[in-house]
Amino acid sequence: MLRHLLRTVNLFDTAKRVLFLCVLAACGGRTGGGGQAGGRGLVYYERDDPRSLDPALSTDVTTGEMIALLFDGLTQFDGDGRLLPALSDRWTADRTGQRYVFHLRPGVTFQDGRPLVAADVKRSFIRVLNPASHGGRVWPLLPIAGAADFAAGRAPDVRGIEVLGDSAVAFTLTEPLAIFPKFLAMPVASVVPSSVPTDFGQHPVGTGPWRFVAWEHDDYLRFAKNPNYWGGAPLGDSLTVRIIPEALTRAAEFQAGRISVVEVPFGETKKWEQEHPDWLKRKPALRAVYVPLNNRRGPLRDRRVRQAINHAVNVPEILRTVWNGRGALAAGAIPPTLGGSDPARLPYAYDTTEARRLLRAAGYPNGFSLQLWRSGTNVEMGRVAQAIQAQLAAVGIQVEIVSRDASSMREAVRKGDTDMAITDWWADYPDADNFLYPLFHSASFGPGGNYSFYGDRLTDSLILVARRTVDQAAREALYRRIDDRVFQAAPWIYLWFPVDLWAQHPSIDGWDVSVIFNGQHWTKVRVAPGR
Amino acid sequence: MLRLVGRRLLATIPTLFGVLVVAFLLLNVVPGDPVAEMVGERADSATISRLRAELHLDDPVPVQFGHYLWGVVRGDLGRSYITQRPVLGDLAERFPKTLQLAGAAMLLAVACGITLGVLASIRPGGWIDRFSMLIAYVGVSFPVYWVGLLLILLFAVALRWLPPSGYGGIAFLVLPALTLGMRSIAFLARMTRGAMLDILPSDFVRTARAKGLGERRVIGWHALRNALLPIITVLGLDVGNYLTGSILTETIFSWPGVGRYVLLAIQKRDLPAIQGSILFLSVIFVLVNLLADVLYAKADPRVAYD
Repeated sequence: MLRHLLRTVNLFDTAKRVLFLCVLAACGGRTGGGGQAGGRGLVYYERDDPRSLDPALSTDVTTGEMIALLFDGLTQFDGDGRLLPALSDRWTADRTGQRYVFHLRPGVTFQDGRPLVAADVKRSFIRVLNPASHGGRVWPLLPIAGAADFAAGRAPDVRGIEVLGDSAVAFTLTEPLAIFPKFLAMPVASVVPSSVPTDFGQHPVGTGPWRFVAWEHDDYLRFAKNPNYWGGAPLGDSLTVRIIPEALTRAAEFQAGRISVVEVPFGETKKWEQEHPDWLKRKPALRAVYVPLNNRRGPLRDRRVRQAINHAVNVPEILRTVWNGRGALAAGAIPPTLGGSDPARLPYAYDTTEARRLLRAAGYPNGFSLQLWRSGTNVEMGRVAQAIQAQLAAVGIQVEIVSRDASSMREAVRKGDTDMAITDWWADYPDADNFLYPLFHSASFGPGGNYSFYGDRLTDSLILVARRTVDQAAREALYRRIDDRVFQAAPWIYLWFPVDLWAQHPSIDGWDVSVIFNGQHWTKVRVAPGR
Repeated sequence: MLRLVGRRLLATIPTLFGVLVVAFLLLNVVPGDPVAEMVGERADSATISRLRAELHLDDPVPVQFGHYLWGVVRGDLGRSYITQRPVLGDLAERFPKTLQLAGAAMLLAVACGITLGVLASIRPGGWIDRFSMLIAYVGVSFPVYWVGLLLILLFAVALRWLPPSGYGGIAFLVLPALTLGMRSIAFLARMTRGAMLDILPSDFVRTARAKGLGERRVIGWHALRNALLPIITVLGLDVGNYLTGSILTETIFSWPGVGRYVLLAIQKRDLPAIQGSILFLSVIFVLVNLLADVLYAKADPRVAYD
């Protein structure tokens, strides 16, 4: 008995000691990125780890934001969404808008010292299109003649890319495309050095304002300023990007002074507006919150029903209460800050009498039932869905809310298996085309972005005509016309364009909200002296 | 004992195979398309079908499973669809951090929980008993999420004693370990108290007192040791749970552990990452259970497996 007891004692003591030593060793081993993220450097955050730091794998916002720090394309966006020269300092298009020549900015070097040459541009694009890269987001390059064939393995080369010496590259497109220079500002069109190691996604080398230093997955990424940046070295010395998934934790990190900026959490809007108005920065986002009404299902096939639904929902009320007023009412799909939006157009008025009249006219005097899908993880959208449900019930439309995780919902919506779904659309590039072609062209049904399956021949052809129109004013006039035509057909419940609300910590200055995810380069931001 | 361990290890193989089959089948039934998550919000159908073919997602399920199993047998858990990094490397990177958090939480639970339980059992109904049972109620009832945020607000924002979140030195470990260990502290305290109350009236405890041993030795040496069996059970289960990652605690405290990895993999329908994680975590769970069984036999010689 005693022998057993003694053995037990020893075993327990040993186990405890081992456990303790493990913990001690693990704790004492290093002081992590989180620990030193504060101090004098600039600290930003992301919700999730980026996929990779390889531009070829840039398919999401997080990855795109990181790529924009490390790499440049031929063109770029600034924080207000303006198209600016980047690696190319000037470009010309022929009169049809089908052939572009981009001249490279002289004297640009990669962060490893290699000079940038025109052949790098071609190799970078080929690399993205190459099926071996498993890219997934090749569409910005597909307008180039021969790109689709190459991506499908049907051609050995992309015939539409022509290297003109060391300092220029010409693109021939399959058809005229006025916004092609904007496509080239997308992260996936970034220029990478000629020979790329297999672990490029972990150890990237670009021409961008920030140089890669370290990446601890799910913890932080660290960048140092590129002193040789062609656009002038960033004002800050270092930039840390911490991965903080929880919104309230981010707010706490910000209040503890350990991150430089933070998006104000939804539930805290009023509190922050009252307590720290001097910290806040607002900017209308290039983002639309809407409910696609499946134009091919049941009563929703009838435009009068869709219009009735728009009249039955009190959007201003929901925006004010549920969304804390952080948005502008939508009277169309093009955000008001983009050319082509029509400030004179009025939103659908909240008018239940008119809604009932339209429903009667469509043959549904007693209403009907519909499903409204929402993503279970998005609390705010869920609350909007509930408000819509309650208001549609008032005109006799019974709405069942279906809550699924984001991935399941996306699949169902893309297959056209949902009546309605509450969702949003973020701009890939700041142009009205990005709110029309993906959302309303029939070629974009499902995965392309047209979740309402709105199909209209005239709309289709007008969108294509606009894409080919080089003259900016004429193009914008076309967009107004298209947006108006679609708006009358009411393929969505038009909700609002959100206004981003961020707080900037008093310890830094020079930061501003960017309307487009890859327009934030952190070059003008610095730690405020003496604060 | 060695034979026991060997036999139990052999028995894990069919268990793990079963886990793999079930996980694979479930992932094939669950809605959501991994390729859709790879290509992002806007994609052309040519790219989608090309990626599906490249990833063998259009193959019949048994063929896909065979593919995967062959990889597992060779020690290859595949590459994440999303990051294209090897799953095993990703797990190896995160597991030590989960281990660290679990270790700290367990240490806290053992130290606080057993102490509270023993103290409470000495004078049932006394103020220490009432106090520790109050703590136990609170610990069991309050949601982890809420407690975590509250701790952050108090210790990181208001008092500024500790960092709100992140991974680093011991200061970063305190709040998440407390949040994670809270439930175990509460549970262990109740468990220990109950077991001690059963043991204390025993004859051998009276004998120990009668032969003149100090109360400290009677309680800490004779009684507690005999009350250990249910405590080990609870500990074993909790360690298993903690080591497989605690999604809530890791998310609230931005702790780069296995739990968050699995969560993101599920959200993104990253099949190799999900399957690899399930397999890896099953192995951990099985091993921890085995360890608990071995400890049973050690703690109570009457427990015989052979």
